[in-house]
Amino acid sequence: MSDFTSLAELVINGNYNGAKDLTQKMIDNGNDPLEIINQGLMAGMNVVGVRFKAGDMYVPEVMMSAKAMSTGIELLKPLIADKDMPTAGKVVIGTVKGDLHDIGKKLVVMMMESAGFEIIDLGVDIDPAAFVKAVKEHSPQAIGLSALLTTTMLSMKDTIEALKEEGLRDSVKVVIGGAPISQSFADEIGADGYAADAASATELCRRIIA
Amino acid sequence: MRKIRSNSIEQTTPLLRWVSEGQIEEIHFATLEVLERTGVKVDHPEALQLLKDAGCIVNENRVRIPSWLVEECLRLAPRKIVVANRKGQRVMPLEKNRTYFGTGSDLPYTIDLETGKRRRSGKRDVELACRVMDYLPNYDFVMSYAIAADTSPKVSDLHQLEAMVTNTTKPMIVTAHDEINMRAQLEMAALVAGGKEELRKNPFMILYSEPISPLVHTNDGVGKMFACFEYGVPVVYTPGVLSGATTPVTKAGTIVLMNAEALAGVVMAQLKQKGAPIIIGGGATPMDMKTTATLYGSPETMMNYAIMTQLSQFYGIPNFTEAGCVNSPIPDAQAGMEAGNGILMAQLMGANLVHDVGYLEGGKTGSLTFLTMCNDYMDNARYMGRGTRIDEETMAVDVIDEVGPGGNYVSHEHTFKHFREEIWSSKQFNSSFWEIWEEQGSKSMEDKAEELTKHIVATHTSELLDGAIREGLNEIIAETEKVKSNK
Ligand code: B1M
Repeated sequence: MSDFTSLAELVINGNYNGAKDLTQKMIDNGNDPLEIINQGLMAGMNVVGVRFKAGDMYVPEVMMSAKAMSTGIELLKPLIADKDMPTAGKVVIGTVKGDLHDIGKKLVVMMMESAGFEIIDLGVDIDPAAFVKAVKEHSPQAIGLSALLTTTMLSMKDTIEALKEEGLRDSVKVVIGGAPISQSFADEIGADGYAADAASATELCRRIIA
Repeated sequence: MRKIRSNSIEQTTPLLRWVSEGQIEEIHFATLEVLERTGVKVDHPEALQLLKDAGCIVNENRVRIPSWLVEECLRLAPRKIVVANRKGQRVMPLEKNRTYFGTGSDLPYTIDLETGKRRRSGKRDVELACRVMDYLPNYDFVMSYAIAADTSPKVSDLHQLEAMVTNTTKPMIVTAHDEINMRAQLEMAALVAGGKEELRKNPFMILYSEPISPLVHTNDGVGKMFACFEYGVPVVYTPGVLSGATTPVTKAGTIVLMNAEALAGVVMAQLKQKGAPIIIGGGATPMDMKTTATLYGSPETMMNYAIMTQLSQFYGIPNFTEAGCVNSPIPDAQAGMEAGNGILMAQLMGANLVHDVGYLEGGKTGSLTFLTMCNDYMDNARYMGRGTRIDEETMAVDVIDEVGPGGNYVSHEHTFKHFREEIWSSKQFNSSFWEIWEEQGSKSMEDKAEELTKHIVATHTSELLDGAIREGLNEIIAETEKVKSNK
């Protein structure tokens, strides 16, 4: 088995100590840092994504795999210029104003991070102005809004309106999700997409950012 | 004189205990350790000050609560809380081992009774659910069931209370957006009860407020609770968790963490007001590690509630648990199993307020038909909970002798006298022979429950609320909406 395959395997198994050691060894052996990421760490994580979607892997296992991947990436980061760092895209995420539910959003964040997205998590109870500010500050390709309450989901619409007012709507995709959210609500308020769970949120972002 | 057997102990009802008294103490001590070592986060300024003054170690909003203070507050909290119905009758004494069933609140979706299609919930769904539960005898209290999503979001909780109080006389548990709306609801309740004094004497309403796991007590959550104590209205202050996400994945760890959150609530409540009527417990649901769904109908929840009920009995504080809430999206065989198990467990453990009965899809979808089906599940569980009567009359040795070998009992007086209490009978469950069942339309239990529900909706209304009071309620709602819009 090549080092790359072994590294991918360690990620799949969530063996973060092993992944760290092997990444270090591969660096020491002079492997290309980007190749270590793409053909080792990310390759493993891609398999994890597929297995999770198929119901063959569970959330805590995915989390361990993500941890294994990021321990490797931490070692590689200093060796790669910022602009060369592979990323699936940058996304700002938050739970909307008045809403304190954060588990679902956290899961979306963790899944997307593990799929290679750079995520800025604003937390819970985030009003439209704060989303606008974050878009200005971070220039993400997308923002993700989460709402679990019927009473707070309307704040999603307000956020989209606020982005329009600031002339930012065309520069950023808006994806939404949460228990009371549906595709028809997304259409109604003019969001770019809706996802029912964390795995589909990741896929959705991949699709619309590409 | 009746001759009694010596050394005789009678067990009237079954006696279910999930763990030993010693294990309950172990959980208690672990809880004290969490409160003293890790402490909690409190975002309510008054509560923070009270905790500080009482001797807690306070660092910004992180509060470490000493064991002695927890135990002192546990002694102050009432062992018995009496809840009345809308008419002021004290129908629901929350005492050790008295079990009451009711549904839950705020379901975003409803399976429409007429079309059978799932759609967004509205205020009318709250009204209908309350009318159905007003009619069905095994519902002891109500919650809103649906969310009034078609009313102004600023005051949708007030609309829910209005719908509840006009469509049932049964005791109710409410949710509130924040302290402002809580105070408006308290005014509404006082109006219905006939004044603040009457409400204090015989509260017909309980608030359901929550800490946020792990170990966070929000300004809103505590504020709503404190407002209720000013009115003498009891408060359920309990977390809703996801084991493996907001609590440790282990059942014991989940229980310890939730207990720590509940006891921190007890401390704040008793510091605010000695004897404040607080109810502990919570929703101890695991997260499905495949789908991330909240597992309401899982075996773990029922096992957790068994221990949490024992804990509350150990403390002598009324408790709040769940049963009859399922993960199946429709009222099918899975739903029956999930609901039945939980309801029976709650009954046998003697949990006090058992809510969320009739929830489908892990607490996201409601169905009036399923509410009706659960009435029979509760009936069945209550029947089993009554236990097996063992005495001369029921052992029937005389009757056995009289009938002798080869006779029959069906025409015997003894059968006539006892069959109704000795054999449970249900209108909704099918037990007829195949041909008869076919003749009667081959109806499933669900079909029959749907028919009954339609009948209830068409014919039953609860005792009417005085017109002037209804007007007053709407005025409070309008007034609150105005206040909120100006904010
Ligand atoms: C950006 O793109 C995307 C894409 C996908 C996205 C996305 C964003 N965000 C989510 N997704 C999707 O991916 C995630 C992962 O797969 C999924 O996220 P979920 O969040 O759906 O799933 C999580 C992994 C697990 N699920 C959850 O975390 C939510 C579970 C339930 C039980 C729930 C919980 C746990 C809580 N709650 Co609340 N709670 C309920 C929930 C009922 C339910 N079964 O959903 C719900 C949502 N709550 C409700 C209510 C009413 C409330 N809650 C409240 C409070 C709480 C707790 C604090 C106790 C706790 C939250 C703890 C926390 N730290 O988040 C209150 C509100 C507080 C507030 N201001 O926010 C309160 C108002 C109750 C009260 N008494 O005050 C109901 C909402 C009704 C409505 N539609 O308005 C509710 C449906 C339960 C019910 N039937 O009553 C997908 O939705």
